[in-house]
Formats: sequence, C-alpha cells, structure tokens
Amino acid sequence: MSLQPTIGIETHIELNTNTKMFCRCGVVDTEDPNVSLCPTCLGLPGALPVPNKKAIESITLLALSTGCEITRKGMFHRKNYFYPDLPKNYQISQFDLPVGLNGELEIVIEESTDNIQIERVHMEEDTGKSTHSGSGRIESATSTALDFNRSGVPLVEIVTKPVITSSKQAVAYIEELRQLAIDLNISEGRLEKGNLRFDANISVAPEGSSELGTKVEIKNMNSLRSLERAIDYEIERQTKAVEDGVEIIQETRHWDENKELTSTMRSKEGSADYRYFSDPDLPNMYLSEDFINQVKSTMPQLPKKQREELVDTGLSLKQANILSKSDVWIKSLYFKVHKQTKDSEASFNWITGELQGQMRKSNIEKLPDWFSYEYLSEIIELIKNSKISFTSAKVILSELLNTDSTPNEVAEQKNLFQENDTDKISEMIVQILEENQDVVERIKTGEDKLVGFLVGLVMKQSNGSVNPGMAKELLLKKIED
Amino acid sequence: MSKDFDIKNIAKLASINLSEDEQKELDNDLSIILEHVKALSDLKLDTEQKEIFIHPLEKELELQEDKLVESLTHEEALSNAPKSKDGKFVVPPSME
Amino acid sequence: MDITNLPIRKINTLFSKKELKPSELYSQIFDNAANSEASLHAHLTLFEDENIKKAKESDSRFDSGTAESLLDGIPIAIKDNINIKGYKTTCSSKMLSNYTSPYDATVIKKLKESQTLFTGKTNLDEFAMGSSTENSAFGLTRNPWNTDFVPGGSSGGSAASVGARSSIAALGSDTGGSIRQPASFCGLVGFKPTYGTVSRYGLIAFASSLDQIGPITKTVDDSRIIFSAISGDDPRDATSIVNNQVDIPSGKSAKIGVIKELMEDGISDEAKNEVNKVTEILKSNGYEVKEISIPIIELAISIYYLIAPAECSANLARFDGVRYGLRVDGNTSYEMMENTRAEGFGKEVKRRILLGTYALSAGYYDEYYGKALQARKEMIDEFTKAFDEVDYLISPTTPTQAFKAGEKTSNPLEMYMSDLCTIPANLAGLPAISIPTGITNENLPLGVQVMSRALSDHSLLNFSEIIEKEIQFNQQPKGWV
Ligand SMILES: [Mg+2]
Ligand SMILES: [Zn+2]
Repeated sequence: MSLQPTIGIETHIELNTNTKMFCRCGVVDTEDPNVSLCPTCLGLPGALPVPNKKAIESITLLALSTGCEITRKGMFHRKNYFYPDLPKNYQISQFDLPVGLNGELEIVIEESTDNIQIERVHMEEDTGKSTHSGSGRIESATSTALDFNRSGVPLVEIVTKPVITSSKQAVAYIEELRQLAIDLNISEGRLEKGNLRFDANISVAPEGSSELGTKVEIKNMNSLRSLERAIDYEIERQTKAVEDGVEIIQETRHWDENKELTSTMRSKEGSADYRYFSDPDLPNMYLSEDFINQVKSTMPQLPKKQREELVDTGLSLKQANILSKSDVWIKSLYFKVHKQTKDSEASFNWITGELQGQMRKSNIEKLPDWFSYEYLSEIIELIKNSKISFTSAKVILSELLNTDSTPNEVAEQKNLFQENDTDKISEMIVQILEENQDVVERIKTGEDKLVGFLVGLVMKQSNGSVNPGMAKELLLKKIED
Repeated sequence: MSKDFDIKNIAKLASINLSEDEQKELDNDLSIILEHVKALSDLKLDTEQKEIFIHPLEKELELQEDKLVESLTHEEALSNAPKSKDGKFVVPPSME
Repeated sequence: MDITNLPIRKINTLFSKKELKPSELYSQIFDNAANSEASLHAHLTLFEDENIKKAKESDSRFDSGTAESLLDGIPIAIKDNINIKGYKTTCSSKMLSNYTSPYDATVIKKLKESQTLFTGKTNLDEFAMGSSTENSAFGLTRNPWNTDFVPGGSSGGSAASVGARSSIAALGSDTGGSIRQPASFCGLVGFKPTYGTVSRYGLIAFASSLDQIGPITKTVDDSRIIFSAISGDDPRDATSIVNNQVDIPSGKSAKIGVIKELMEDGISDEAKNEVNKVTEILKSNGYEVKEISIPIIELAISIYYLIAPAECSANLARFDGVRYGLRVDGNTSYEMMENTRAEGFGKEVKRRILLGTYALSAGYYDEYYGKALQARKEMIDEFTKAFDEVDYLISPTTPTQAFKAGEKTSNPLEMYMSDLCTIPANLAGLPAISIPTGITNENLPLGVQVMSRALSDHSLLNFSEIIEKEIQFNQQPKGWV
C-alpha cells in the first residue's frame, strides 16, 4: 500500500501599511515594547475599530492577482477566544464572507509549473507578542511578558485547498506567494521578520483513495527550511503510524526547530468553539465596482507574466523563475543587458552569477551610480570577440564596482586586452622557448601536459593579455618546427 | 424545555470560574430565560433568508486613510497595568 | 427662584445678562448633591475642586462676553460608563473599581468644547445591565420621589441626579430603555437619539448595535440642546452617521399612532391612562390619532435577550485582568483570567455573558442568535410600514410606575419585562423619547414614550415639546433643594 500525503497551507501575510488595521497607530519595527498603542489596539473599554483603506486595497489587489472572486458584500466577524496577547479576547477576522474566494497561484519547480488552488483570502488583525520567561522552555515559564505593538497590525490570511502533495511544492508555493506580495507592494515579505507565517494541515491516505486521512495541523513555522523539514517529518511520522496500524489523532502539533520534530500542542477534543458572529462595531463592507476597478488599475506585472516574458528571451523556466524572484533592479538589468547583447545565457549568468556574487562578497547592497548596464553588455561583447579573457572580465567587473570607469578603460589601464597580434606573440614565444629548452625536450618526448606550463608563462609575461588558445596553438607549432 | 446546555462548558468558553452554587443558580436562570426566548423558534418569517445586517440603519462601512494619528504614550498605556516589568505587561505563564 | 430648577436656555440668558454667575449655579448644584447624596447615592464620584476653578473660568467668559456655547458653565452629570480622561470609569463594577481612563469619549470631547462642567460620575447597573440601578457593585441608587423605590436603570444615577437637582442635566446610555425608563420613573425627559447620530467612541460597550448615548433632562428643550452638542459623525466610530435630519410634520397635520401591542395585558392601567390622556389632548387639538399594530413587538424581549447578551459576551471579554482593572491571580494566565472574571463581575453580568456565549456557541447559533437577527430585521420592516401610515408612535414608556427596591431582584425575567416598551426602538435604531405626563396614586411620576422614524430626532423633539406644553407636568420631587 502506497500512501499519498495531502497538504493545505494557511499563510498570514503582514501588510506594509503605515498604520494598523483598525486604528491609526503606526506599524512599528522596534524592540521598545508598548510604544505604538491607542485605546483601540490595547482593547481599552469603550474604544472602537475603524478599518484601514490601504489594507482593504492591498487585500483586494492580492485577491484579484490570484484570480479570486471578490465578495462584493462582505463583513467582519469576531472570532472569540481567550488569550493574554489578544487584547479584546476576540480577533476581528472574516468568516463566511471573505474578500476573495476560489483563486489559484502558479508555482514553478525546476522546469515545470503547477497551479495551487486557493480557497479563500481574508483580512484580519494581528495579536500582541508574548515572551515566556523562566528557564527558557515554555513548559516551565514562570511568567509571560506582553508587548502589544503588533496588536492590530493588518494581516491577510490565504488558505489553499488541500492540494499540495510534497514539501517541495509547499516551499515553491510560499516562495511564489512571497514574491507576489512583494511585487504587489503590499508587504515587505521578510520571512526573518515574521512578515509571512504559515501553518500546514497534513494528512496521508492510500494512493487513489477518495477520502483524506485524519488531518494534523502544524504551527510555528517561520522559515522555508522549517516548513520543508516539518512537512517531511510529519509525512514520515504519519506514514509510519499508518503502516504500524497506529491511529492518527486529529490535533495541532508544534514544530520544534531545535529538536527537528513535531509534538502535540492540543488535541481536537479541547478545541475552541470560536463563536463567530458579525462584528456589530463594523457595518457591512460593500466593495464597489469603482473601488475594484481603481485597485485593478494599480496592478503591476505579476510573477507569472514576468516568467513568460523571460522565457521568451531564451531563458529556461528555472532561470526565468530565479529572475522573477529576484529584486526589481536585477530583473530590469537583465532585460536591458539582454536587449543589447541578445545573449540570454550570458546575460543571466553574468547578472545572477558574477555580478551578484561579487556584490555579496564585497557587501555592496546596490549598484554604484556610475555603473551602467551597458558595462555588462560591453564585457559580454568583449569576451565574445575574444578581446578579453573570462578571468580578465572578472577583474574588470570588480574594478567597475569600485571606480567610476568603463570596461574598455579598465582593460586598457590594466593592460587586459588579449594580444591577438601573431607576430608579437611569436616573438614572446621564441624567447620563452629559448629560456626553457629542457621543458621543450620533455614535451617532445611525450610529456604533453607541460604545454600548459608554457602557456601559463606566456600569460604571465603578457599580463594575461594574450588569448590563451592562440598562445597554445602557436607554441605547439614552434615546438614542432 | 429539553435541557441541552452544559453550564460548565459555557462558563469555560466565557472564561469565568463559577462556584458550585453559582453554577446551580445560573443553570436555573438560563433555563428560565431560554424557555422564554424559545418563542422565537416558532416565528415564521416570510423568507428564511433575511439578509443579515448589523447596523440597524444598514449603513455601509466607511474606510479610513492610512495616516498616522498619535495616541497613548507608553506611560499611559501601562498606567492601569496590574503588573508590569521593563515596559511590558506581565501575566502568569500562558503556555498552551 | 430656585436656579437649579431652570431650563438651560433660561440659565444661559441669566449668565449672559450677568444676573447669575456659573460659579453661583455650580455652588448651589454642589450643595444639592451634598445634601441628597447620602439618601440617594446618585453619584459614584463628584468633582468639586476642579469645578470651582472651571466655573470661575466660565464666569470670566461671561464677564468678557466671550462665552459662545449654550452649555458654557452648565453642570452636567455623566454616567459612569462614559470615559473622561484622567478620571475613574468604573461601570459600577468591581472589575473596574480602580480603572482610570487615559482618554476622552467623543461626547466628552464635544462637551468640553462647549465648556460644560462635569459634576461627577453617576451610578448605574453594572455595565449598564439592569433596569433598577440595584446591580451596582457600589450600592444601589434610590428614587428621589420616594427612596423606597428604585430610580429605574441602568442610568438610574443620572436620573436621580437630575431629579434631585444635583445636576442641571445628565448623560445616560440606552441599550434597551436605560435612559427612557429611569427618566419616566423620576419624572424627567429621557431621549434616546437615532442609532449612530451620537458617537459611541468612549462609551463602554454593552451591546454595540443597540447602545446609544443620550440626555436625561428636565425639559425637551434641554434634551435638544445637549443632543445638538453631542451628535455628529465621528471618524472613530464606524457605526456613527452624518446627522442628516429628515423633517416630518410636528404640527396638526402630523398623524399619530398608538401601538396596539403596548396597550394590552402586561401594561398597568396607570400606564395606559397616561397614554390615553395624551392622545385625548392631541385629538382635541385636531390631531389624527389611530391604533397601529406592530405584531413582532410581542417578541421584542426574546429578540433583545439574545442579541444584547450575545454582543455583550464578546464586548466584555476584554475584562481579563491582563492590561487593566481587577486581577485575581492564578497559576496560569487562563486561571488568572477565569478567577478575575469570576470575582470582578456581578451576577447579572455573568448571567448575560453566559446566555450570550451559549446563544453564539456551535450548534445553537442558528436556533438562537441567527433567528433573533432575522426577527430584528422583521421588526425594522414592521416599523417602516407603520411609519408609512403615521408620523409618531405613542406608547407607555414603562409597563408600571417605579417598583420598590428588592421587588424584582429574584426573578430575572420579571425585571426584563420592565423594558418591554422601550426595547423596540433600540432594536430598530429609532429615536425615542420619554416625556413626564403624570403622577400616580403613590405619588410617583410616569411618562409616555414617543417614537418616530430614523433621523427625525429634531421633529420628534418639536412634537414632544408640544405635548410637554399641553401637559404642563411641572413637578419635582420634594426635599432635595
Ligand atoms: Mg487567522
Ligand atoms: Zn492603536
């Protein structure tokens, strides 16, 4: 019996609005606790919520970009549960009338695509943050400290249908969703800051079975790595349980980042009854045609479309996917360089490889002002025309990142142009052969490898300006003579 | 009426620690009130699908611009805290 | 001349003509309060010291002719579920006995702009849940007409304060009759404006879709003046509306309906007599009066006691001992919250929270809360139909005169029934007013209620003023001034 895993993912995306969802306190990024609060987000008696227009525009944009049906007559609900970091002890969320329903998102794994079905996209508010202190482990905490700066920050929750079948797909889905949020400019999309947080519902069932197995929810994943590992761990745990005939309990499990395993948080029996009801502080929300059209008009090019355009330039889907998930300047740099050089492979490799590599190594965050995309085109052309070696090209690029000059100027200055003048090279070779008679003899007796040594000497003497292919050709010719 | 509610469970949901006596008394009160409101279930309305509204005048929700408004100071926010430390509210441990 | 018995407009004229100083009025008002407080317990707090200073400032504004508002220097009492920055707001609950509000309710902001003096905070049924002001954690309030009797509730402290002339007027809040019923029991005018015309921001919520702040005054004109000062759209309250008044006739062309269902069993003869007395006068003045049936009113109590507790169960969830108010410790946060709520809430509050929790809980929502919402919609429709036929609807304000303290505390349903006539206006969001019309055999006052369509508050006040003039009630409880 082969078992098939089924996974559904709930993602919370923190929006990049200036102010919170239901009050006009700033969304702040600070370690100072409880500094951005008002009666509303602190849940003081008598305070009331008023929704943020920008947040509603952002979620509408996300819903539209994933092809969701927009709920024209929507509303906010109260989700009731007691938790010390939830100031009102209810969360304002959306229940049966979310902003978006039934969408999909295209993901890419290697050279193929998949569509992940999205069930719903809804708006809600974040909670405060708890810090448990004591011996450091939650179980033995002696007190909990609360910071409510995050309380009321707008969150969009996106729920997939149970259609994901592997941890790879799950990771690709989150990567795609993150990029979408960044391209739509609705979130910073920074995983390390908790801008995206995800829960996964996982079950296993015999292949071909029409029914899903008992589902287990995994919480507390905040990196792609933990998502991947937690899913793999859980699939393995459940598969083994089924094979051993052990019953899987419907429960919520916690991913322990250090121990790399999931453990029971709470079982379904004690599960909450959230008593959802329409929030009487917030009248029904009607999204007008005008509003939706206005939001539509701000829609940028989506990652999927970007990939199509990139593939049209000659890139593979995998390469296109890498570029579509890169910073905007990298994408546009690629298009400019490609337009000039018509060489997708070289443009892609130089930008995503050498350029980004050198920048990372030298801790350069953005290209210097003097650096023109034309320099990259120039470098690619110089290599193509054998004017410089690949090694020299790297040197030139590094120089360009530090000094205001052009590739030709650097090549000139550093004497990096490859010497293609046969007479000049021959002169140099004759001299080298004379100085290394012993090596020549050994080559003649069959030690071919030593040719490389002589080529190296030519390169060294010429400061790398000689075309090494040409040097080798001429060397062999002279030795034979 | 058929008694189909469990006062202990309701009190748990409402996060109120009721004494035995209170449980008994409230159980009785709720029975009386629920018996009375049962009248509603006999109500036959023209349509079952009356649109659910919340604002009695069916006002539509207005949204507010994403502009910062200064509000409570840190001191004001903590001024009523039963217990606080290092600028944070402190409560007994809240593990799951 | 007893200056504390004068209407606001008259007092303002005296101030302007410099025949009376605000500080003189305030000192008389404070003396009255000091005299009656021990017997009535209308107030939880009296603000003497700062008011002496504020009254003097008011004196100088009138001296220099710079006083602009009709309410400048007018001492008004505030129900203790409305936040005033820097003062305790207790809601008559042990839960908030030490709570000091760090912000002003919108109505308070507006009254401050009008240079009103706040005499103090008045007693109420805990969290405004009750009809007698006996459910106060700080002791009951007594009726100034006869201290054996209750003043009504939940704004009983506000009514007793104005009744005993310890303030010129008072703010109350009305969720199911909490302004009108005590006004009727204390021989005063009580006005509940159209839902949304007065901001609820800073009013500690009982049931958000029903709560409305309004005045308790000696005359209809006083209510008009206060309503004008406190109404208006508030960006901090999403349910507040632009006060675009509709004009309906108030003169002889106005058509009057007597609500059939509120003149039947369960209504005392005395209460019916008051209605008949008013309609006879209106008829003799040429008004057309007819009977109007609103059958769903029979279910008003049932609808109300599902909707109000459901909303209150969530609204009062924020009182958990975490950020403010009472805390009773426990080993975990959850125990702490359960202990705090057990200790902090009184019996009636617990009763309603539990009832509402149950009505919203899984499996019972449709049967209870959902059904109540549908019935509420039906009630609005029936009122709309009634207002196609008539301009004003008349009924008793209360089924009986004030009852004795302790008389109805044992059976919750019996207490609930005393709101039968007032609840429908809250469910339908309509403006409604209680006007004092007579004195019963036991020398207790009784009032009559008039309702009109949404946003016709001003017309309703104009029409009520006509009744007020015809009836010439002009009586006050003895022994307090
Ligand atoms: Mg959620
Ligand atoms: Zn806030």
